[in-house]
Amino acid sequence: MTEFRSRFRTLVDGSDAPPNAEHHIFIGPQHPWAEEPAHFIIHVKGERVVEADIRIGYNLRGLEKAMEAKTWRQNTMLIPRACGICSAVHQNVYVRVVERLAGVEDQISERAKLIRMFSLEAERVHSHILWYGILAHDTGFDTMLHISWRDREMIMDIVEDISGNRVNPALMLPGGVKRDIPKEKGDRARPLIDELIKKVEYHKKVFTEEISIRNRLENVGVLTKEDAKKTTPNGPTGRGSGLPFDIRKSYPYELYDKIDWNLVYYNEGDILATTLVRIDETLESLQMLIQILDQLETTQGELLVRVKPRIAEGKYMTRAEAPRGEDLHYGIANGTDKPERYKIRAPSLGNIDATLKRMDGEYIADIPVILRSYDPCFSCTNRVMIINDKTGEKLIINQDEFARKAIKAKKYNRPFL
Amino acid sequence: MSDAHKELEEILKISLPENLVEEVIKVEEGHFDVLTAINTAYDLMKILHGDAGIYHLSTITGIERKKEFQVCYHLQHRIEEEFREVPINFIVTKIDKGNPKTPSMVDLYVSADYYEREIYDFFGIYFENHPFLQRLILPEKWPDDVRPMRKEYSWEQLKEITLNMARQISEDD
Repeated sequence: MTEFRSRFRTLVDGSDAPPNAEHHIFIGPQHPWAEEPAHFIIHVKGERVVEADIRIGYNLRGLEKAMEAKTWRQNTMLIPRACGICSAVHQNVYVRVVERLAGVEDQISERAKLIRMFSLEAERVHSHILWYGILAHDTGFDTMLHISWRDREMIMDIVEDISGNRVNPALMLPGGVKRDIPKEKGDRARPLIDELIKKVEYHKKVFTEEISIRNRLENVGVLTKEDAKKTTPNGPTGRGSGLPFDIRKSYPYELYDKIDWNLVYYNEGDILATTLVRIDETLESLQMLIQILDQLETTQGELLVRVKPRIAEGKYMTRAEAPRGEDLHYGIANGTDKPERYKIRAPSLGNIDATLKRMDGEYIADIPVILRSYDPCFSCTNRVMIINDKTGEKLIINQDEFARKAIKAKKYNRPFL
Repeated sequence: MSDAHKELEEILKISLPENLVEEVIKVEEGHFDVLTAINTAYDLMKILHGDAGIYHLSTITGIERKKEFQVCYHLQHRIEEEFREVPINFIVTKIDKGNPKTPSMVDLYVSADYYEREIYDFFGIYFENHPFLQRLILPEKWPDDVRPMRKEYSWEQLKEITLNMARQISEDD
């Protein structure tokens, strides 16, 4: 805490721990709290955190290197795999880089752009609802987790209806979109969106009025605007600390400058502010979805423009506002059908520094809530529900039991249950 | 002085000395590339950070060209009153392939720390005056001389190196 430096610096033997720390808590790389394998090192004195640190690199898949070996067209389907939840936004940035390099960015029709925006906003809605549900779980308020995840199924149904997939819609291609959103699908989605707006308004009421959840979030992990400018957080983490920058507003792409929506930001800088940024954004995105559906009824146009497989020499950097923040792609083409270099910067890496800064001087009990604030992914799949199709009987078992039963069934050649 | 150079100066409300800048290219409306050499990079970045007040560094990209390495700092000039951002790609050119060295920007940007270490890991570009230039992402047992993002290593070769490393670790255990 003495000097202002980046985290990511703890050595393997822990020899550079701050001198006034008494104990060191190690979380990860494998921990039930988080799906992402990251290793957090928390130096504590008594009940308070002195400094928090992180080691990363446990999940290197070599995506950028793999892209150099594949063609621009094949990469369209590789790129959404960069992130499990925000797959559409990665694909969106990628296709815009390719379109610009191929020189067809002016030929994309408004209808294709609207369909892309629908996919992006639907993704933002389900990602934000997922996040604040888990945040409620971390604060010990599991009822809210179940309520919000139940309501999230509405938007998942809409995404599945328009794309065929729940979390990886993969609607976009360089030159346009793969599928149309016909009027009947839009009509099916409208009542669900209206219903979901009411539900999210109720969620907001819970987070702002329910005292037990508010006490866990208010004035916890405050990141001031000055600290935010130094640690450069992006997306909702920055907007909770009074940095009013949303790429949809600050550097508009697709048709975000032609649609009505409000920029959401708060100046408090605590976890509650970050939460409210996300809830308000969910409401904004939902009303944008209705506007997009309205515009789709009157806008016609070609869905897909041909893009040649060979891309002329050039380079282009562009960004999009992912649910977690700023998603930056930088593509360099060399005249062949394969990229020379492709750089992806997903938002979470830029937010870790600010999140660890939030922890200085906070209680150990607030660690999960603060770590959650930048929205890492989550896994809760250690249980499975088995429904007997003859009797309708439900049985919930955990993973160990499931494995034991499966081994027994195989060994003695008898039915699973 | 090119038109793009003048336009960027107007947006940033400072003057960029011509001896520090190699070239300014306008990519599109409100989006610029600034090219500079290794020996002038730090001074130019100091002007952009200090005088122009650019505090947001999105990321840093390492690039391998046929004859040289390049390092690209993706900066965002943020104009808070207008809720607007001007992206600036600050490219350090002509980094020697035999002895890749470039000045570190850690003094100016806290977040340059881990992005520079990532490039050191993947390309082996040495950032001078970086206080903690250590491995960030690659595994601890990864061979020191293998820089996986360089063009000399193919996907298949890297697969083999990874498998050998894993085999070595399991034998040691």
